[in-house]
Amino acid sequence: MSVWGNEARTRVPRIAEAAVERARLTVVPRVPRSRAARMPFVVLVSLLLVGGVAGLLCFNTSMQQSSFQVTALEDEATALDAQEQSLTLELGALRDPQRVAQRAKRLGMVPPASPAVLRLSDGKVLGDATPAAPGDGVRLTPYPTVKPANLRPKPIVIEMDPKPVEATRGSAHPGTEGGASGPADATGPGTNSHHGEQGSQR
Amino acid sequence: MRRPRVRSLRGASLLRLRVALLLIAMVVSVFAARLFQLQGVDAQAYVAKARAEGVVTAPLPADRGEITDRNGEPLAESVDGLMLVADPTLTSKHAAALAEIVARRLDVDYFDTLTRLRKPDTHFQYVARRVPAAKARGVVAAAQARGFEGLDTRRDPVRDYPAHDVAANLVGFMNAEGDPGEGAELMFDHLLSGKDGSTTYEVGGGNRIPLGDNSVVQPQRGHDLHLTIDRDVQWYAQRVVRSAVQTSGSSSGAAVVMDSRTGQLLALADYPTFDANDPTGSPERDLGSRALRDVYEPGSVEKVLTMSSLLDAGKVTPQTRVTVPPELRRGDRVIHDWFPHGKLHLTLTGVIAKSSNIGTVLAATQFQHVELWRYLRKFGLGQRTGIGVHGESPGMLADWHNWSQINQDTIAFGQGLSVNAVQMTAAVNAIANRGVYVSPSLVKGEARTSTGELVGSDTATQHRVVSQRAARLTAQMMESVPNPETGTAPKAAIEGYRVAGKTGTAQRVGKRCGCYDGTFTVSFAGFAPADDPRFTVYVVAQDPKNGGGGGSIGGPVFHKIMSYLLQKYAVPPTGTKAPTPKIEW
Repeated sequence: MSVWGNEARTRVPRIAEAAVERARLTVVPRVPRSRAARMPFVVLVSLLLVGGVAGLLCFNTSMQQSSFQVTALEDEATALDAQEQSLTLELGALRDPQRVAQRAKRLGMVPPASPAVLRLSDGKVLGDATPAAPGDGVRLTPYPTVKPANLRPKPIVIEMDPKPVEATRGSAHPGTEGGASGPADATGPGTNSHHGEQGSQR
Repeated sequence: MRRPRVRSLRGASLLRLRVALLLIAMVVSVFAARLFQLQGVDAQAYVAKARAEGVVTAPLPADRGEITDRNGEPLAESVDGLMLVADPTLTSKHAAALAEIVARRLDVDYFDTLTRLRKPDTHFQYVARRVPAAKARGVVAAAQARGFEGLDTRRDPVRDYPAHDVAANLVGFMNAEGDPGEGAELMFDHLLSGKDGSTTYEVGGGNRIPLGDNSVVQPQRGHDLHLTIDRDVQWYAQRVVRSAVQTSGSSSGAAVVMDSRTGQLLALADYPTFDANDPTGSPERDLGSRALRDVYEPGSVEKVLTMSSLLDAGKVTPQTRVTVPPELRRGDRVIHDWFPHGKLHLTLTGVIAKSSNIGTVLAATQFQHVELWRYLRKFGLGQRTGIGVHGESPGMLADWHNWSQINQDTIAFGQGLSVNAVQMTAAVNAIANRGVYVSPSLVKGEARTSTGELVGSDTATQHRVVSQRAARLTAQMMESVPNPETGTAPKAAIEGYRVAGKTGTAQRVGKRCGCYDGTFTVSFAGFAPADDPRFTVYVVAQDPKNGGGGGSIGGPVFHKIMSYLLQKYAVPPTGTKAPTPKIEW
């Protein structure tokens, strides 16, 4: 058994020796390569690199610059807007019909009492074209507010016998009536007893 | 010799590889742990930190839509005001001095401002809102002049009412908090208000960082609202009504001007009213429209509705003869006329001209309850006009099933039912508009109210109430009222024009006793030119103290407003002559 085996081992390589010899790996001989110039490529790449960085820098700077400009212009626009709005407000106040009417009234104008229309086709006046009179005007402002009752003190009226007064003043007021004239003569707010006294003298 | 060397080399690189791998794995797991900590555990805290680092979020308030009259004249407009805002991290240092500057120049509370300027942990605080631009900029400039940083301004619309009290009863107002208070501002708020936006951006040194986070939600401007009101007519009507109410000592008054053909309201004047720029200066009861909210008994003006109904039903003619007794006993009541008289022989035209209650009652007896009720409903009584004003009252017209004879009698001459001023105008306008009722409108075009109703001139409806002939005959009968020879309101007549009208002096139910308390509602309704009506004007004054009636108080107001209208809209006289009224037989 073992003899057979040894024989086989030694014999096999020998049989395929030629093929093995042919299949053995060897280093490929160096082929001389054609060398391209290296310089232009390096220059190109570095140019691209420098150009890119510089471009990016410029772009960023200009963007910052325009950001400042945007802010400044926006501020200006807001200011102008506000100005326009305040002018609109002013215009609205000037166009207020109440103001226009008051100006017109100061110029002596009144609304027409009776409407009249001029027909352009034949120049005929339709309606009653009488000039307006000052009385045709409309009151433009409200009457002054009346004070509430508790702020309008009642006039204080003191009735007194006229005789002693006459005695002090002599016969200067011969026609003075008895103390009934108080209410008619009493003055407004702030009337005090002194006024009341005078009232009853007249 | 060679083999062992190779093996040892291989062993060394393997070791290096393994060591390196281990190191990398350790580093990576540290990274992973940190990543988990950042993204999983503390994420929100870091987001907040990042936000605080120069990120600004600011609201962008939407412009509120304008309210204009029919010609585009502004009744309410939004002005580009500014809000004053502060960054408390910058202002807290000099808060006291800053608050003094702000409180002195603007109408804000010093202590409130102080707390706002010192608020911790925030970059944004309102200091004052709706400030006119110039004022707000003045404050910031004053602060910067003293070297204080942190105050800034942003857009914030201000509501302005350029005509003050003109149409304030309809337009309403915005209160101090910027919420709608009354009128159209309230009723059409969702339409006018628009939608606020916001902006978020990063800042560095006061400028936006160009490539930083930056997002803007644009505000949406509110829609404009156009009313059918003519601002000039409204102004004039308000002045005339004010003058009439004040001279007659009435408690309140109103005038309604309607375009006869379209039902559009050209003016709806109320007095007392208020200044929309200063609503707090007037009592709360004056802030709405009395012409729509208050109801009252219309009195004799209602007679024209009864008469036109009778004419339409073919039961009478203008020449129908009525014998009017000095007084009329109906059941347990006695009906009188406003003037004492003996037995009168009036035509139906005479009944209108003299405004006889008894004559009207006698003529109306030809109606069943249901007939009169149906006509009055068709004239729009007892139901809201739906013109889109908050809190309109429907008035009252009792169901005919519950009527007794005395109810029909009083309703025929305008007592025992209640109306608001616009309802009554629309009813009389049906006669002016050749017998066709047009629903009144206040909004030009159409708009949806906050209660979901679609209102406006585009949605106005029409229906025939009485025949064209009945309307024409009624108008002719009404021409006898401003006629100085026959009628009760000579002051309503306009020289050169044919005017139809009707006075009303009604007993008034007092608030206190709930009964007729001896006060009156005086009114006048009319239209011109009578044979081709363009405008219907209705005037009403409550509780006059000077003893005047519909003719003496309402008549001149009608005359002034109608003359103004005819002049402004250049309506020529029709050139026809009014038939001479025959009032007696």
